[in-house]
Amino acid sequence: MSGQREAYTLPTQTGGLNQFASGFAAGDASGGPTVQYVCGECAAKVSLGRGDAIRCSMCGHRVLYKERTKRMVQFEAR
Amino acid sequence: MSSTTTQTSTKWSVEYDTVRRHKLFRNTPKDRSAFPALQAAVKPHIESFNALWDEKLIDAGLKDIGVHTVVDGDLRNPSRTIRRNKLDLRVTEVILDKAVLPASNKFSLQDRNIYPSECRERHATYRGKLRARLQYRINNGDWKESVRDVGQMPIMLRSNKCHLEKFSPAEMVRHKEESEELGGYFIVNGNEKLIRMLIASRRNYPMAIARNAFTGRGPTFSKFGIQIRSVRPDQTSQTNVLHYLTDGNVTFRFSWRKNEFLVPVVMILKALVDTNDREIAEGIIGSSSGPTTPSSFVSDRTELLLRTYKAYNLKTRAQTLAYLGDKFRPVLGNPITVPDEKVGEDFLRKIVLPHLGNVDVTPAQNNDKFQLILFMIRKLYALAAGDCALDNPDAVSNQEILLGGFLYGMILKESIHDWLMAVGGAAREWLRTKNGATFADASFDADFLPKIVRRSNENLAGRLEYFLSTGNLVSQTGLDLSQTSGFTIVAEKINFYRFISHFRCIHRGTFFAQLKTTTVRKLLPESWGFLCPVHTPDGSPCGLLNHLAHQCQVQIKRIDTSGIEKAISQFGLSSVPAMDVENSLSVQLDGRILGYSPAKRAKEISQLLRHWKVGGEHNIPTELEIGYVPTSNGGLYPGLYLFTDPSRMLRPVKYIPSDKLDYVGPFEQQYMNIACVDADIIPNLTTHIEFKPTNILSILANMTPFSDFNQSPRNMYQCQMSKQAMGTPSSNMMCRTDNKAYLLQTGQTPVVRPPLYNEYGLDSFPNGMNAVVAVISYTGYDMDDAMIINKSAHERGFGDGVIYKTKVYELNEKSRSSRSKTEIKSLFGFAEGDPNPSEEALSSLDPDGLPPVGTKVGEGSIVLAYHNVMFDPSEGKLKNLDGNTKYFKYKDSEEAYIDQIRLIGSETGDQPCQAISIKYRIPRRPIIGDKFSSRHGQKGVCSMLWPSEDMPFSESGIQPDVIINPHAFPSRMTIGMFVESLAGKSGALHGLAQDCTPFSFDEDNTAGDFFGDQLRQAGYNFYGNEPMYSGITGKQFAADIYIGVVYYQRLRHMVSDKFQVRTTGPVNALHGQPIKGRSKGGGIRVGEMERDSLIAHGCAYLLQDRLMDCSDKQRAWVCRSCGSFLSTMMVPNQFTLGRKGGRVEPSGMVRCRACARPAVFADSKMLVWEDGAGRKFVGGDNTTVVNVPGVLRYLDVELAAMGVRTTFQIEG
Repeated sequence: MSGQREAYTLPTQTGGLNQFASGFAAGDASGGPTVQYVCGECAAKVSLGRGDAIRCSMCGHRVLYKERTKRMVQFEAR
Repeated sequence: MSSTTTQTSTKWSVEYDTVRRHKLFRNTPKDRSAFPALQAAVKPHIESFNALWDEKLIDAGLKDIGVHTVVDGDLRNPSRTIRRNKLDLRVTEVILDKAVLPASNKFSLQDRNIYPSECRERHATYRGKLRARLQYRINNGDWKESVRDVGQMPIMLRSNKCHLEKFSPAEMVRHKEESEELGGYFIVNGNEKLIRMLIASRRNYPMAIARNAFTGRGPTFSKFGIQIRSVRPDQTSQTNVLHYLTDGNVTFRFSWRKNEFLVPVVMILKALVDTNDREIAEGIIGSSSGPTTPSSFVSDRTELLLRTYKAYNLKTRAQTLAYLGDKFRPVLGNPITVPDEKVGEDFLRKIVLPHLGNVDVTPAQNNDKFQLILFMIRKLYALAAGDCALDNPDAVSNQEILLGGFLYGMILKESIHDWLMAVGGAAREWLRTKNGATFADASFDADFLPKIVRRSNENLAGRLEYFLSTGNLVSQTGLDLSQTSGFTIVAEKINFYRFISHFRCIHRGTFFAQLKTTTVRKLLPESWGFLCPVHTPDGSPCGLLNHLAHQCQVQIKRIDTSGIEKAISQFGLSSVPAMDVENSLSVQLDGRILGYSPAKRAKEISQLLRHWKVGGEHNIPTELEIGYVPTSNGGLYPGLYLFTDPSRMLRPVKYIPSDKLDYVGPFEQQYMNIACVDADIIPNLTTHIEFKPTNILSILANMTPFSDFNQSPRNMYQCQMSKQAMGTPSSNMMCRTDNKAYLLQTGQTPVVRPPLYNEYGLDSFPNGMNAVVAVISYTGYDMDDAMIINKSAHERGFGDGVIYKTKVYELNEKSRSSRSKTEIKSLFGFAEGDPNPSEEALSSLDPDGLPPVGTKVGEGSIVLAYHNVMFDPSEGKLKNLDGNTKYFKYKDSEEAYIDQIRLIGSETGDQPCQAISIKYRIPRRPIIGDKFSSRHGQKGVCSMLWPSEDMPFSESGIQPDVIINPHAFPSRMTIGMFVESLAGKSGALHGLAQDCTPFSFDEDNTAGDFFGDQLRQAGYNFYGNEPMYSGITGKQFAADIYIGVVYYQRLRHMVSDKFQVRTTGPVNALHGQPIKGRSKGGGIRVGEMERDSLIAHGCAYLLQDRLMDCSDKQRAWVCRSCGSFLSTMMVPNQFTLGRKGGRVEPSGMVRCRACARPAVFADSKMLVWEDGAGRKFVGGDNTTVVNVPGVLRYLDVELAAMGVRTTFQIEG
């Protein structure tokens, strides 16, 4: 499944996993990768790194959703 | 329908109203809900919670608690002359705030409210800050006060302490609630909990009861008693019982803090008022003004009552009070400084009929108590003499409802009381530690708040949260209830029907569930119109768990009774009873005797009151219950009992004389003449008529189409099954985090439905789908309640559903309380510099260590990554040191998709992610083995998805979606399903919504004719039969087939959750048999009956396989000579024995130790064998291997341990 998925990655994300793997090796000082989440209250995009407090930067809401992946999700039809 | 100028209409008919509903969905009303009936269904819950503050129940409770006094000095010294300082404590006010963020959260500035949806999503509790105003004074000085923070109290949704209280549907949607959010429940740790309503005995009404247990209370106790459940203004109750002793005496019994006490009734009488024996005697026997002579039964006993009391030698009221006070001082916990007489008064205030005077009792109130006790004695004597019948405590007429909100308030009151006592205890403890200190010391005043009160457990609201989350009542007093657990239930949202019926259910009490007698479960005629006769589960809770009829209401508010009293005072009642009951019916208002009047007059009064009440004259409320019990020969004790108290059930009926609405209670109903339909009216007798005959049914029972055509148990089954249907739990599924939620993807509105369906807005929550159903025995796959589903219907989405499961992954299992950054031990995500993170994790997780939303997961898939961290003070950061990433895995065996991922922050808003909740979606298309049912208790299992081309078809080319077997009908007699099929068919053909209200057809206008005619007009057979053709051969069937449209529910019982297979697997460690339990991969027991049937079939090898080979088969060595398993031993390998550190290895030679004899020199070396210890033996070689059940060897060992030897004879 994973191998197939790699092939379908959108061009905008230049090989998400590879980039991420290199980030590891470099020992990123900023505390890991920052990922965008969606605020549960105001739907604002919130960028969080590892160890950041869970809180919307706009409204201070305390529940964040992970966005639906931009990668293509394909399953084998049965 | 909704626009800015006109109000949202709340009128609904049976029609589909598709456009109107769509508009309601798209433009949620900004003024009010379109479904007030739905809101009214949960009223008892919300209003009872609101009453805590609106009706000042909490304040009443605080008044009842009063001032808690502690004194200093030696308590063992009983002398009242020593000078003591006293400390008075009281709570004067309790304030509950709405749910807001704590002050420590400095990040949210616009809206600091915490809304319920956030609590659901964060798996938190919806609660607000509770504060109590604690006042204290020393030696009657000035009161000093402190407002104490006493924890966070869970708040009922849509109550007056909830943000949602007055929200319009539009605002609800904005706050991520359902547009018709009902409230009435609490959110505790993300679960929706509600306090279930319980049956309690009717308050303030002396009930005649007989219990054999009473005879065990003491010598000469009879089984007769008069019991009254006296309810204080704060809704707590105190039960008082008068016992009849076989010698004619009467004893007053009460229970206080779970202890029982007995007091002579005359002592209570004499303590209440300044009285004399004559007054008491006249109160019991009746005044001697009339010509009648007293019955010797009563007069003899009254004389004895008074004579035996002489032994106490208490003459005046003051003496009696002092005597009572002296005896009950330790029980009530009054301090030493209070005089006995005052303690006696306190006793009367708190325990004796507190509904007639609870706080600051006036002499008039004491006289009311006195009069009521006299009345109770009279009723008791009448009962003992056999003049009056017993009151049935199982009948609704003698019951009321213990409401959730009231119970909640009682627990709060008790925790406040306990807290005051604890503070008092802590104050005395302070004295003890500071040797010789007194309350008057300045240091005490200085230490009181910061040390003494702070040290007490101030988390009062924590008790309430515990109560809600466990349903257990931890109480010193027991709150006059017969159970200590099972008070709360989870408001499951399997589908909306189940959810709404939680709020309408009433439990009889867990105590009655254990009772072997079935009398409490009986359906009594008194329940008519109050409890639904249909809607009760079958099985163990049958008859104990009832549901309110949909029109039944519960009164919550206190009613002003001044109008009633004024009206009654005009009638001129006598203040003392006469000797014969006929001439002196007592007139009681809420358990207070207003006076006595002749029976005829009492009847007139009741009729007049009824007229005034309905007309709203004389300021008499319509909620007044006028229970006129006429005189009879051995019937209920007569009287005119008026009730206005809260907690009573009420239902609307029409008063015929003025054609107006009247509310009727269960007590008065038993003596009223209420017609069900017009034909029932008897002139000059019938006073009332039902608005609709369906008013007696619950919401769910009303949804069964044509239920009056069905055999009654089928309607019961349908009520059960509609609650198990896979339907639509709510319309805000994406904002909910239920542990498990079922959703039907292709729900439809039923073609056949009652108008109530729309009134309750059930189209927002479809619970099934319309199916073309043919009743035919086809292919044999529809035998025995199986049903065949058309494969094409399945492919079009018939019954398609999903399950949502939410799993919370917490890094800190122990506490979710806010912790400082230094205490955080782990974080989500990959460890920084992990040398070799798992390949699978890298491919399936995003860089943040979370899976992408939408991925498919199977058993054992990695769903989350986390790692340990330490706080590095030099950088002020959390750093990972071990470079080791750990993973959470998806454990279920079923494949699922990740639907939503929530990162859960803390209330303070400064915590890194410590909990993540993942919502999985499990698709569940119908498969063979899934359960379906129509709305008539006709459940069946899908046995085959039959290809469309092989399905039978009708002349118009219609194929059935579902085929059921005709044998499902004769024994079950669900004619309603036939009628629904007819109505559904014609409704579908004409595009009509069919009204299926029960009791709307009769013998002259039959349903068959009505719908048959519609069918005929559509060009179909009048009877619903159609010629059909076999899908396989194309030949017409010999018989015409009954085919129509029936609404089908898909039930949540699916094979995917139930199938259980195993050949080998985990076994029990002790005896090696397979363990049980599907979740553990265990087996299903082949029990005795299964074994019998296999024997009967002669399946010996199958039995051998099940009971031996797949179970605990073992190869065991046994000695053929002595027949023992235990004495055989494997001879160790001689050649490996001597090696250093070598294990003792088996040689493959097994000898019986018991049959062997020690070797002697003469023995041949060939015959000698050696055990592990080097001892040499000869013989014992007659051993063999047998296959035995492991449990047999275990039995052998157990028996040997008890000194019992078993011998097995080995043949062959």
